[in-house]
Amino acid sequence: MSLADRPRHGYALLKDTEALSQGRVRLSTGTLFGALRRLLEDQWIERFEQEDTSRDKQAYRLTAMGRKQLELELDSMKQLTRAGTARLRASEV
Amino acid sequence: MNARRAYEILLRLYPRDYRARFSAEMTSAFEEAAAEHRQRGRGASVRFVAKELAGLLAGAAVEWMAKSVTDDTVRGRNLPDRQRMRPPGVSWEDHYGNPPLDVPEDVREAQRCVDASVAGMVRAIADHEFKKARFYSLAERKASERLRVLREKYELGE
Repeated sequence: MSLADRPRHGYALLKDTEALSQGRVRLSTGTLFGALRRLLEDQWIERFEQEDTSRDKQAYRLTAMGRKQLELELDSMKQLTRAGTARLRASEV
Repeated sequence: MNARRAYEILLRLYPRDYRARFSAEMTSAFEEAAAEHRQRGRGASVRFVAKELAGLLAGAAVEWMAKSVTDDTVRGRNLPDRQRMRPPGVSWEDHYGNPPLDVPEDVREAQRCVDASVAGMVRAIADHEFKKARFYSLAERKASERLRVLREKYELGE
C-alpha cells in the first residue's frame, strides 16, 4: 500500500509503513526486503529507474498487476468490514 | 565492533543472489534508520540494532528456505497465492473458466507438473540461475511428454 501513491525506496518504505500503521508496525530491514523480494518475484512491484538513483537507494513502484491486487485486497477488506459491522448490528437488535 | 559492521557480517548469511540484489540497499536503509534512532537516545538505538540483527537472522533463514523449495505457497511464506485466489464477487466460472471436472486426476497432476516446471524455469532465469533453469527445462520436457501420453491414453484433445 505504501507504493500506491508514488515510488519509494527502502528507508522511505520503513517510515511510511510506520506512519500508515500509526506507529504500531515497525518493520526491520530483513522483513521489508524479504517482502520486496517476494513482490518482485510475483511481479506486483518493479524497480523504478531514476536518473539520480544510486545502487544503494533503489526505488520501487507498483506494477499494473500489483495495483489490481491491491484493489482486490482492499475490496476484500471492505467486504469483511461490512460483514463484521452487519453482524455487530444484528447482535444489538 | 560497530553496528554497521555487525549488520554487514550477518548479511553474509543470506543466499548470494539475494545479497547481490539487496545488500547495498539494505545497508543503506539500515544506516538511515540507525541514524534516526541514535537521535532518540541510546536505549532506542540499542533496541533498534538488536531488532535489526535478529531480523537479519530470521530473514536469512526464510530466504534459504524459499530458495531451497519450489512450492509457490512455501516461497510466499505459507501464504496462499493471491494470483490464484478468486476475488470476492467474482464467480468461479468467470475467474477460473469452467472447471474441467471430467479430466482424470493423473492428467491434472501432469498439467500441474508442467505449470510448476515452467514457473520454476522463468523464476530461475530471472534470478540468473541458469543451471537451475536447465534443470526446470528438462523437467518441463519430461512433464509435457507425460501429459501428451496421458492425453492420448484418455483420448483428450489439446
